[in-house]
Amino acid sequence: MAKYGGWVGKILRVNLSTGRIWTEDTIEKYKDFLGGTGIGYKVIWDEVPAGTKSFDPVNKIIFGVGPLAGTGAPCNGRTAITTLWPTCWPKALVATGHMGGQFAAELKYAGYDSIVIEGKADHPVWLSVVDKKVEIKDARRLWGQGIRRATIEISQEIGPGAAVAAIGQAGENLVPMSVVMNSYSHSAGGVGAVMGSKNLKAIGVRGTGSVRIAGKKEEWEKLIKLHLSLLGANNQHVVPSSPQPWAEYYDAASRWKGSRGKMWGASTPAIETGTCNPHDLNRIAYRTNNAVHYLGDIAWKYTVRGNGCTGCPIRCHTMIKVPSAAAKYGIPEVGQNTCGGLNFGRSFFKTFPDGPRGMTGIEACMVGMYMSDDYGIWCNYSQLQRDFQKLYYEGIIKSKLEEKEFKSYSWDKYEKGDPSFLFELLPRIALKEGELGTALGLGTGYLLERWSLSEEEWKKSHGLNYWKLGHPKHHSNEEAGQCGVIINTQYNRDPQCHSHANFTRNGLPLEILKRLAAEIWGTPDAVDTVGAYTPMNTGKAKMAKWSLLRKELHDSLSLCNWMGPWVASPLKERGYRGDDSIESMLYSLATGDKKNRQELDQVAERIFLLHRALTIRDMGTKEMRTQHDTIPQWVYEDPSHRPVYTKGTTHLDKEDVKLAMDMYYEEMGWDKATGAPTPEAYRKVGLGKVSDELDKKGLLP
Amino acid sequence: MSHQNKKPEILEEVLSSEGLNHPFSRRQFLKLSGVSIIGISVLGPLFARGETKAPLIIMKQAKGIVIADPTKCVGCRRCELACTEFNDGKAKPSMSRVKVARNLNFGPKGVFPEKHGQGNWGNGLIVQDLCKQCPHPVPCANACPNDAIVVKPPTNARVVDAKKCIGCKMCLRACPWEMISFDSDTGKATKCFLCYGKPKCVEACPAEALNYMAWRDLTDKVPPRVVPTAVIPPEKAAACNDCHKK
Repeated sequence: MAKYGGWVGKILRVNLSTGRIWTEDTIEKYKDFLGGTGIGYKVIWDEVPAGTKSFDPVNKIIFGVGPLAGTGAPCNGRTAITTLWPTCWPKALVATGHMGGQFAAELKYAGYDSIVIEGKADHPVWLSVVDKKVEIKDARRLWGQGIRRATIEISQEIGPGAAVAAIGQAGENLVPMSVVMNSYSHSAGGVGAVMGSKNLKAIGVRGTGSVRIAGKKEEWEKLIKLHLSLLGANNQHVVPSSPQPWAEYYDAASRWKGSRGKMWGASTPAIETGTCNPHDLNRIAYRTNNAVHYLGDIAWKYTVRGNGCTGCPIRCHTMIKVPSAAAKYGIPEVGQNTCGGLNFGRSFFKTFPDGPRGMTGIEACMVGMYMSDDYGIWCNYSQLQRDFQKLYYEGIIKSKLEEKEFKSYSWDKYEKGDPSFLFELLPRIALKEGELGTALGLGTGYLLERWSLSEEEWKKSHGLNYWKLGHPKHHSNEEAGQCGVIINTQYNRDPQCHSHANFTRNGLPLEILKRLAAEIWGTPDAVDTVGAYTPMNTGKAKMAKWSLLRKELHDSLSLCNWMGPWVASPLKERGYRGDDSIESMLYSLATGDKKNRQELDQVAERIFLLHRALTIRDMGTKEMRTQHDTIPQWVYEDPSHRPVYTKGTTHLDKEDVKLAMDMYYEEMGWDKATGAPTPEAYRKVGLGKVSDELDKKGLLP
Repeated sequence: MSHQNKKPEILEEVLSSEGLNHPFSRRQFLKLSGVSIIGISVLGPLFARGETKAPLIIMKQAKGIVIADPTKCVGCRRCELACTEFNDGKAKPSMSRVKVARNLNFGPKGVFPEKHGQGNWGNGLIVQDLCKQCPHPVPCANACPNDAIVVKPPTNARVVDAKKCIGCKMCLRACPWEMISFDSDTGKATKCFLCYGKPKCVEACPAEALNYMAWRDLTDKVPPRVVPTAVIPPEKAAACNDCHKK
């Protein structure tokens, strides 16, 4: 029997230029990096030279999953896809996209802990992985088809239970704003065109094997039940959105929407979500309804059910059935997605004839999901749509397009909020048709460059949420003050980190948050009421570090950072405590490699520092503080000119944010002047060789 | 116990069992079957053939069954994971005794997307396949050449006795609902054994879509997935004749 559980033992390697297929031993080479983003960064560091561009054949794509993928650990459906990011501007740097669905688990059952793709096929191909049988297959008949058609045909070939990760026309046409998608609605942005550049249409996986749990099955069952008991709703919101008989608190903003009288109205017959008492583990799936969260109570009657990833009881995707959209637009009456994917079509429009939470908005969602999830277009956390609105309403589109092209769009429909406008716009992005379609598909940074627009203006704008490097903020000062800002400086795209926001927004009252914060980060001062901030302190720096490490840990273990961490819970009898060591307990029991919380966090720090080292190496500068960790001007301004640290404003003081960065670098053990990790910081986490390599290039502080 | 003695017992069990689809009175049964109690003794010699090779014929009804509500299934597969992790110490949906993955994308009929099909790619309905704990005749047990599928108290579930199973997969081909699993690691068949009365899948479902309840006969209510292709071993076929022939 293999020494370790959790991992299934092999990394699948495929060179599309030569057609060579081989495997590597996971434990031997990658155990210290767990899996997921950890394996991704490690492969890029070891094998992809600095200066490589996204679409170069020597760039690699790593479909990384971790030891918990495919197990019964809740929320383990994530695949982290690492590559040199095509929308990272002005230069491709390492980044990761994450998709849920069934792909991660299926890959493990097929016997692989990750897939590394390199090279470029000389004609369109797809990769067939059916247990031990791995083949590069001709995809010429699939090329030019959407994601759905490609998935159907591959499923016909390798079986209806297959997990197929495919690109659409956008990826084929090297549109940087493109996704790879599996299981109907689970996508990873930015990766589509990198697959397209390798002539790789899809990866179809079918697995019949197993993931062994190293520990005793009775202990595993107990631990899983403990973890389940700590779950809240989506984003680990631990209080319901309306008063419930069992609940001490509620928060209207919570994604915990289930309640007596609230029905999955499009189920036949309708199903009541009920009071969802947190002690009833057989009702967890009724808590979250993200269609209702985003579209309002009107969405209840269109809700068929929740959907989501392997092993996750939360169901953050919502399946909605909208016959009027089918009748008006000739699309299927059922659609499903969440967050930016759900809102893909709707977010282009400034107004709708029946208001922001009416029927037309829902129909725009349906049209958007139908098209973008088939063409495989990425929203870049809805930056595409925010850019589009600004570019149109400020007359920039008109000024940049030739009259004939401009007039080829029905702008009257757009202004009125008619979803049929999407049929004109979205195919042209995917097919790179015309100036507008081409420019929008580039991503913000390259679009601004192409149209000679100033990035500084984007960094000043409040509504745009633009941060840097062509990408937006993702849970920044509006969720967690200085901590959110620090986190948003650290990555080469939006940070995709939820650790901090899932705590500050969990719905518990401030006094409880402060009590929990004191236990986790050593001081109640680590958290403020959202929108009533206090000046920086070390607790906030500790929370930022913890948040980033938890993100990397989750992305490497294949736990969902959108659902975790689980440091708060809905359980009154626990004082609303969660358990900060749940990840290490799951890891230890599943793999048999016993690590406590601190030890596992150190692995996470190793992974995070490797990302930092890669960024420094590929940027060719150690001046991270000034060149990379930048903060847009809008963070420091309040549109209504309210003073900083007063209730209701989320803007921050510039000097205080400087202090925040100082404290963060100090907490990390990095050099404050440059923001670069010191040799000691690298050595502390076992990255001495990385430090030496950077030293040779003069990239240590 | 001689077979002459056993046979009336068998009949008693059939006649007293509850929950059959077409329950009939003892009198009706005897009339329909065209035999009488006296007739049975005439058939005695057939039953008596080779006592040591007495074929295992399951007559006892199961006491419990897991029932699924497809409209509530959210497709998370926690049932499959609980089934295999908590019973076998490994996550292995391919050997799970509750089967969701195969219907998850497109429904039981295969790759038919959108309005023509079910599952995540169709109308959203996810059909969970579960063992019916069949009444007599139990197809999987009958097909087993080694009598490895036995009744086990307290639930009277039909259970694969791993010690007897020779891994021939005949039972896999016998079940019209494809509910027999095969563990490629052990080379043995496995099937739903109701977790000794506390099914892990039911406990694991986050949407209350699975329920454990008193046994009822679903064999003529759930359409079969396949036409069984298993052959009943000759000794068992002969024993079937003893009771069933006109």
